[in-house]
Amino acid sequence: MLGELINPYYLQVASFILINIILGLSIYVTLASGQLSLGSAGFMAVGAYTTALLTTNFEVPLLVGILAGVMLAGIFGIIVGIPSLRLRGVFLAIATLGFGEIVRVFIVNTESLTKGAIGISGIPQLGREILDKLEVIGFDPEILGLKANQFTFLIVFILLLIIVIVLVCFFSRQKNSRVGRAFSAINMDEQAAASMGINVTYYKVLSFTQGAMLAGLAGALYAHVLSYISPADFTYHKAVEILTFSVFGGSEVVGGAIFGATFLTLLPETLRAISEYRYMIYGILLVVMMAYRPQGVIDEQMMRWFKRRKGRRQQHGTENK
Amino acid sequence: MLKVAGVDAFYGQIQALKGIDLEVEEGSIVTILGANGAGKSTTMKVISGLLKPKKGKVTFLGKDITGLRPDQLIRKGIALVPEGRAMLAEMTVLENLEMGAYHRKDSEVDKDIAQVMERFSILKERKDQLAGTMSGGQQQMLAIARALLARPKLLLLDEPSMGLAPIIVADIFKMIKEINQSGTTVLLVEQNAKQALKIADYGYVLETGKLTTEANAKDLLEDTSIAEAYLGG
Repeated sequence: MLGELINPYYLQVASFILINIILGLSIYVTLASGQLSLGSAGFMAVGAYTTALLTTNFEVPLLVGILAGVMLAGIFGIIVGIPSLRLRGVFLAIATLGFGEIVRVFIVNTESLTKGAIGISGIPQLGREILDKLEVIGFDPEILGLKANQFTFLIVFILLLIIVIVLVCFFSRQKNSRVGRAFSAINMDEQAAASMGINVTYYKVLSFTQGAMLAGLAGALYAHVLSYISPADFTYHKAVEILTFSVFGGSEVVGGAIFGATFLTLLPETLRAISEYRYMIYGILLVVMMAYRPQGVIDEQMMRWFKRRKGRRQQHGTENK
Repeated sequence: MLKVAGVDAFYGQIQALKGIDLEVEEGSIVTILGANGAGKSTTMKVISGLLKPKKGKVTFLGKDITGLRPDQLIRKGIALVPEGRAMLAEMTVLENLEMGAYHRKDSEVDKDIAQVMERFSILKERKDQLAGTMSGGQQQMLAIARALLARPKLLLLDEPSMGLAPIIVADIFKMIKEINQSGTTVLLVEQNAKQALKIADYGYVLETGKLTTEANAKDLLEDTSIAEAYLGG
């Protein structure tokens, strides 16, 4: 019965939505301290290639490969983040875009290591690996009434969902913590923030590195979900697409990245016929958003309104009792 | 308490300060006067750690603080109210005050916030208003109140009267005097020389990056040449 309900195609789309949410979060967390980075595609490539090379060439366990990808992306985040402290706004965007291109060109040109433009195929699939592990201890997806491939898609989706929930909880909490306050103070006025005793350098690099690690994580997961990566996955277009998730959905709140990534991943899937024009639609969306709602669909005011309504409804509830 | 000795500072190739020496005694109000571009704000930037001097030394309570960052200075007891008030415009008044105590980990922050709001009743009335939507005078008051929440020993004020109506300027200066009387040393950079000298104990006059005159505030107020140059007749 469960087997009929589970459609691998929908699960695949849902898994990509979740990966895109992580990418949206990476923009959100760097923007929280007022830094506009277009380097996400580059950091994503670092994460993806690190784990892909480790797991396919050296048979390193997936978890280790993914963690290595995240760490290396984080290290690159620090390396790029520190000199970028001097840059603001559009200059930072261009510098990070340059970083992304350097990573891509490096991958294309080191054919002996990365197979260049051909890309890496046969990367161990996350779902397949988990199923193999479970089969060793005598598990059979038939118990759940599922075919093997249905099970692999389902388990990947569940795993990604857990990761996203953990990340969303973490970053929602961080927003209201000392760190989050420091980020938003820096975002509003760097000099004021410094005069209040906030170590601007530290927090800006922290925010940038968090963004880089998130993009690296998304890249590593992407590699193990798709099992094939090539430099074409991490181009300038990807960077803009990632930026759009957060800017369209709303870059002030965590919910914005979730909404933006979900909506913009579903849009071309539901409107297959126009998927060719996706980037055109993205472009138009960005222009319209910047003109009429620069803070994105979901903003802080909206969140406050929701909270108030919820509060009121709860009050009503107790009164009726 | 604070000592600046032989400080040279540059913006790129341009020398903004040439051998500045000044001293602030504990418990006093000291003011730095001068016309536009004389180097007043640059002096403030050097003291508050926003600009590293090329030469010279800044000492505070006997310790060398030259080139320390603002967030390190605040832990040593120096708080800055930057020029132009530097509001966290999209935070509420209360949140701004809380940010003022950012580096503190003691349990008396809430008590201090309540106390500051008693002192500046307008801030209490508007505690949930966004700071950016307040008037200039109210923002200046908030900026000063916020700096006080760091519990500074020395308060640096960079042109607190800038862009404010004369009647509000008088209020702000009265406030500064009160803050000083309750035990905080004040270093005040001002263009509004007359007002500043009225509350100050000692004054320095800067001209194109050099100190030209220094004297007790009373003497400066009476000095006719200073009056002609800076006090607007």
